[in-house]
Amino acid sequence: MERAIRHTWFFPHSPERVWEYLTKPELLAQWLMESNFRPEVGHRFQFHTKPIVKFNFDGNIYCQVLELEPNKKLVYSWKGGNGKGEVSLDSLVTWTLAAKNGGTELQLVHSGFKGFRNFMSYIIMNQGWLKIAKRFLKNLNQSAHVPTGA
Amino acid sequence: MSQPALDVFQVIADPSRRQILQLLTKNSLTISSLAENFDMSRPAVSKHVKILNDGGFISIRNIGRERYCMLRQEGFNDLQQWIGYFDSFWASKLKKLEALLDSREPKK
Repeated sequence: MERAIRHTWFFPHSPERVWEYLTKPELLAQWLMESNFRPEVGHRFQFHTKPIVKFNFDGNIYCQVLELEPNKKLVYSWKGGNGKGEVSLDSLVTWTLAAKNGGTELQLVHSGFKGFRNFMSYIIMNQGWLKIAKRFLKNLNQSAHVPTGA
Repeated sequence: MSQPALDVFQVIADPSRRQILQLLTKNSLTISSLAENFDMSRPAVSKHVKILNDGGFISIRNIGRERYCMLRQEGFNDLQQWIGYFDSFWASKLKKLEALLDSREPKK
């Protein structure tokens, strides 16, 4: 039921080669972001990106390696906030590599988003509200008792 | 606006405001009928309603002599946008990775 971001890509390169690009800081910097990443469970590292004021996000992403299976799987936490202790983003990034057709199928799942100070799960659980709201508004608009110019 | 605008997260940070939204998913309600669900005073409920209204989460419509609160999509869209931001973030990063891999390594 949980909403997650999913991307699946195929690379005509070996999992070992793709793995290097996911785990070597100097290679990560070339396509993702500068970081002090180390392929070591428990290691904490940071990424920096553009702040988004509207979402109370100062551009710093705090991560910790949670799971590591060379050439197969990499999981890290992905947290951010306003820099004043308020967490607006508390999520999980999972990379899965699978050898396929002489190359690598790389799957990214960015999940959780339960942070959001827990709003997102609330919104997700209640996604049905839109339908309900629309139905209601439609009924309301059809009702003869509604003053149109109110 | 007399109050400083709250960001979308602050708007729904308050449990009472979340409960108001929850109640409104079932039906549109007057402020009085909303207030029946809470221990707080009607003016206190009105204040929360105003914040939700300013944040785009609900709209208020006058029907007869009553003011009805109903859900509005706008505020929720802002939250969706936040997830959408990371969705396109990853898509563009992966494209970059693809180009990088293809340029660096001869295909086997």
